Amino acid sequence: MVAFLAVYPVLYATLVRTPLGSEFDVLLPGADVMVTVLYVGLFAMSFDFISGYTGYLSFGHSLFYGTGAYLVVLAATEKLPLLGAETPFMVLLFAAGLLAVVIALAVGAVSFRLSGVYFAMITLGFAEVAHVFIRNWDRVSGNPRDGASVGAGVDAFAVGVPGVDALQIELGRLVRDSLGTVPGLGVELSAAAGSYYGVGLVVLLSYLCMQRIVHSPFGRVMIAVRENEERARAVGYDVFRFKLAAFAISGFFAGVAGALFAGYRRSVAPVNTFDLFVTADALLASIVGGLGTLAGPLYGYLFNASVEGILTTESDGIARYLRDVLGEGTLAAEVGGVSVAELINVFVDGRADLYLGVVFILFVLYVPRGILGTLRDRLGGHVADRLPDRVRSRVRGWRR
Amino acid sequence: MTGVAIVDVLVDLLDPTTLAGIFLGAFSKSALYVMIASGLSLIFGLMGVLNFAHGSLTMFGAYLGGAIMVALVSGGAGGPTRLALFFVAIAATFAVLTILGGAVEMTLIRPLYDRAPLFQILLTFGIVLVLDELVRIAVELNGLQPRTDWQAAFGTAPDFLAEWYTVAGVTTRGLYLFEGLLGVAAVAAIWAFLTRTRYGLYIRAGSEDPEMTRALGVDVRRAFTVVFGVGAGLAGVAGVVLMWDPRFGASVPLGVETLLVAFVVVIIGGLGSFRGTVAAAGIVGLTDAVATWLFVNDHVAFAGLPEMVSFLVLVGVLIVRPQGLFGVAEVGGH
Repeated sequence: MVAFLAVYPVLYATLVRTPLGSEFDVLLPGADVMVTVLYVGLFAMSFDFISGYTGYLSFGHSLFYGTGAYLVVLAATEKLPLLGAETPFMVLLFAAGLLAVVIALAVGAVSFRLSGVYFAMITLGFAEVAHVFIRNWDRVSGNPRDGASVGAGVDAFAVGVPGVDALQIELGRLVRDSLGTVPGLGVELSAAAGSYYGVGLVVLLSYLCMQRIVHSPFGRVMIAVRENEERARAVGYDVFRFKLAAFAISGFFAGVAGALFAGYRRSVAPVNTFDLFVTADALLASIVGGLGTLAGPLYGYLFNASVEGILTTESDGIARYLRDVLGEGTLAAEVGGVSVAELINVFVDGRADLYLGVVFILFVLYVPRGILGTLRDRLGGHVADRLPDRVRSRVRGWRR
Repeated sequence: MTGVAIVDVLVDLLDPTTLAGIFLGAFSKSALYVMIASGLSLIFGLMGVLNFAHGSLTMFGAYLGGAIMVALVSGGAGGPTRLALFFVAIAATFAVLTILGGAVEMTLIRPLYDRAPLFQILLTFGIVLVLDELVRIAVELNGLQPRTDWQAAFGTAPDFLAEWYTVAGVTTRGLYLFEGLLGVAAVAAIWAFLTRTRYGLYIRAGSEDPEMTRALGVDVRRAFTVVFGVGAGLAGVAGVVLMWDPRFGASVPLGVETLLVAFVVVIIGGLGSFRGTVAAAGIVGLTDAVATWLFVNDHVAFAGLPEMVSFLVLVGVLIVRPQGLFGVAEVGGH
């Protein structure tokens, strides 16, 4: 998967230049979308870390994501003590994670007094308080409802070793025109590809950290809590402290994901940070990818983002494509009193949420373990461990 | 706030007319909350299913009620006809949503009872995504919202809802009084249903111990379907009223808005306890009215206060009493 993600920008750039370029452009997510896949994927992984492994559904996870995102933008606009516009982005990433940890500890201390659905509701409640607060906090900007953005005066945020220019990758769409051409293929890599590798690096590191924790004795306790909390307590574990620690770790990476989002987009708004539907993105990704499989949410979000990309209203969506390919006559044809063009507008254009919702329900009902979880069940072990059979089995798995 | 300012606020607040106004506002809001939240609470109490789609059902009810009125009321319809049609709209919405709720329970939720509660939350959340999007499609396909003939829905409301009445020295909309009365009627009806009918007995028994109730020969499954349907129907009726309420109105985000309030109410009251839900709706309505008054009268400059205060009450209650005011710790074993 890492190898696939590493060559994806080149692959995409090559495929789009082939004769079937416009079809590929419609079907494959662009480099821009892939950056989103990475940071939302990280957010979804952090959500899965707490919800998939301990069984505590954190319905207010957007709280940490939003905290990280707002910290970056507020620091860059000189609105925070200690952290100014000159602070290296790597420091901001770390600070975002730490602040999220502090908030997670405070929220968790109250929330872990409850369990099951009560926990889901109380975390949702906290996130909603934060949502209302950020929408009305006039320190953020003149119009907090619309969020805030980093001005043009601030340099691009960069991932890498602070202070050493050669070891830094700048993020953002508007930084440079291109990253150079790939030798041999003559394919030009866009600036988005640069951000892609920069963000990818942080996400990969975070994934490895979480992976390490999940496979450590600490991770075993988390699973014990999920499977039978009473028993874990009876065995002698202080489950409250384990849950709280897991929540804090999860919050840390959610904060980092939010900071990456803000670093790439250079602007934040309540709608795309502190919102129930931001948590919903992570939830969808985790269910589709496999709850309780750390890498699953990334695949899950890749799937969701692809569906979203295909059904987008933008120029590379299928709606625009259909309008271009189908002739005037077909578009004007009536189906039950409504023209085809109107049907496309209503049922295809930007309707990703509807189909994702249906997919989501079907997954909950029939594939509760998600793509990766089901694959693991079928292969009888971790996907990477079963490398020899992997490709063959996977083809069989998809056909289901 | 300085000491003097607090005294000023108190003097202002304790003025009889102000108090009466706050209580009237609180009454209408509490009534709405109780209508939305009691369905949620009943469903949870009996089945242990946390219905995330409850708010979306309210939202759907709001659009449906509006659409029915637009379809039925012609321009020349007089006062009494409109009034009658308004009740027809309420009844029709209740019927449609009850059937919808029952169908959802039978087809989608039934297969999940043996699984962890997590999956039921997830499933109902999936319903939110689909229902919201379907309503959006319907609204766009019929060109409802941006176009003026949807505005016609406001004109179809019976006259008494739009008029102003003076009660206890306070002038208030007929709509708010009607909301209050409807809420009282709903509470009375649910209470009578739970305590005076055989079905209510089944439901109360089923929420205490489903296994035992089933062993005694009661069809608990059917009770589940009925409760889910009735809960959805109640949410829909609340939605119909919200449609004409200037504080809410029909929009897709209304689903999340009402869902969150309903959650706050049922947790404060104690999940699954009908008595608790009624009490909590009163508390939340009152704090909401006081916070709104504080902000409107410039005593507090923070615009988010009315929205935030009910969550703060929630956190406060949970710290002191995690199971809610009337709740039993760990209802239904979840």
